[in-house]
Amino acid sequence: MTSLTDRYLAATLRSVPTGRREEIATELRASIGDMIDDRTAAGQDAGAAEREVLTELGDPAQLAARYADRRLQLIGPTYYLAWQRLLILLLSIVPAIAGVAVGVVQATVSDNPAGAIGSGVSVAFNVAVQIAFWVTLVFAVLERLGTPLDLPDWSVDQLPDHPVERDVTLTDVCASIVFLVLLIAFLPWQQFQSVIGPDGERLPILDPALWGFWLPLLLVVLLASIGLEIAKYRARRWTWPLVGVNAVLNLAFAVPAIWLLANDRLLNPEFVARFAWLRDGGLDTVARISIVVIVAVTIWDIVDSAVKARRSAR
Amino acid sequence: MVSDDVLRTHLQELRRGTVVVASLVALRRPDYGYALLQRLTGHGFPVDANTLYPLLRRLEEQGLLTSEWNTEESRPRKFYRTSESGEQLLRRLLDDLAAVQTSLTTLIEGAPR
Repeated sequence: MTSLTDRYLAATLRSVPTGRREEIATELRASIGDMIDDRTAAGQDAGAAEREVLTELGDPAQLAARYADRRLQLIGPTYYLAWQRLLILLLSIVPAIAGVAVGVVQATVSDNPAGAIGSGVSVAFNVAVQIAFWVTLVFAVLERLGTPLDLPDWSVDQLPDHPVERDVTLTDVCASIVFLVLLIAFLPWQQFQSVIGPDGERLPILDPALWGFWLPLLLVVLLASIGLEIAKYRARRWTWPLVGVNAVLNLAFAVPAIWLLANDRLLNPEFVARFAWLRDGGLDTVARISIVVIVAVTIWDIVDSAVKARRSAR
Repeated sequence: MVSDDVLRTHLQELRRGTVVVASLVALRRPDYGYALLQRLTGHGFPVDANTLYPLLRRLEEQGLLTSEWNTEESRPRKFYRTSESGEQLLRRLLDDLAAVQTSLTTLIEGAPR
């Protein structure tokens, strides 16, 4: 029967370089024996003493790593910053390009806009996962091999010209763009994909008549808003021209939306007819709340951009 | 009040290098792993077995310790001893430790209270 010590030694030596295995085994066995003897001499039961000693020595994998002088980390401080910068750079460019490219191609070959957006999003996601995996793998291998990166040393010349007081952070911009993309995706989705009713009937939520003019207008405004987000990020801060464009776009979205809501022209009459509470006055409540929210968000957004532009102009 | 966690990590940082110094001093007299561990603990250098054993091997690989197997006793034991270059390194380390102590003392005495 193999003792606990034998099993512990086997587990430790598995990941210690072969050349030194024998010697480490003999020494470690003796050390464990000494430690057990010390405890049994003090009157402890041999089995309990063995357990206690091995517990004190801890996880064999960790002990082996210490013998082999191996660091227990995937990517250490030498490579971390290079890894992080490369990853951010690639993730902020490649998935978006791949996703948009696939989405556009899909949209031109099939007449299913929602499907095209779906496959674009899924391609972007897959590309992002692949990038993260491969970049991390390459850096983890570099870390194991200890390959020098030979990157140029940091120098003060690399400091950005302006203090990097970004009013506009990448996270904010990405969040806004994701929101806008979802909103854009919603318009064709509600037309073709929304399922209403137990028999899987498809019924547009918004009045299909609006596709004649109003919905395309809102789509254009939303697309322009994405452009504004990108321009804002590149400018690093709110500038007065950006504030102006932002106000125009906000109003170009809010005014038609409010007008349509107020005149009960936004929702599909068939859709409204389906729900008793919408028919019986609920529609007015929905419209009223929506109008208040749109007005509040629009005013807040315009004022906020103006305040930020004023602050960074100083 | 300093939290226990903060205290523990700082003490650990402060103690980290002193295990090497203490081992090099103690091994001027040859000894094997567990006996050294007990001696160090007895002199106020508590050190974990899973830290000390790999450390001894590393110091040996760096040529700071020499080793010799003793097979006369009940179980074969590897005796380590501070080598000539280990002694040289130790002197530098001790000088530096003394310098740190001196600097601290002057800093404490010179500091306006």
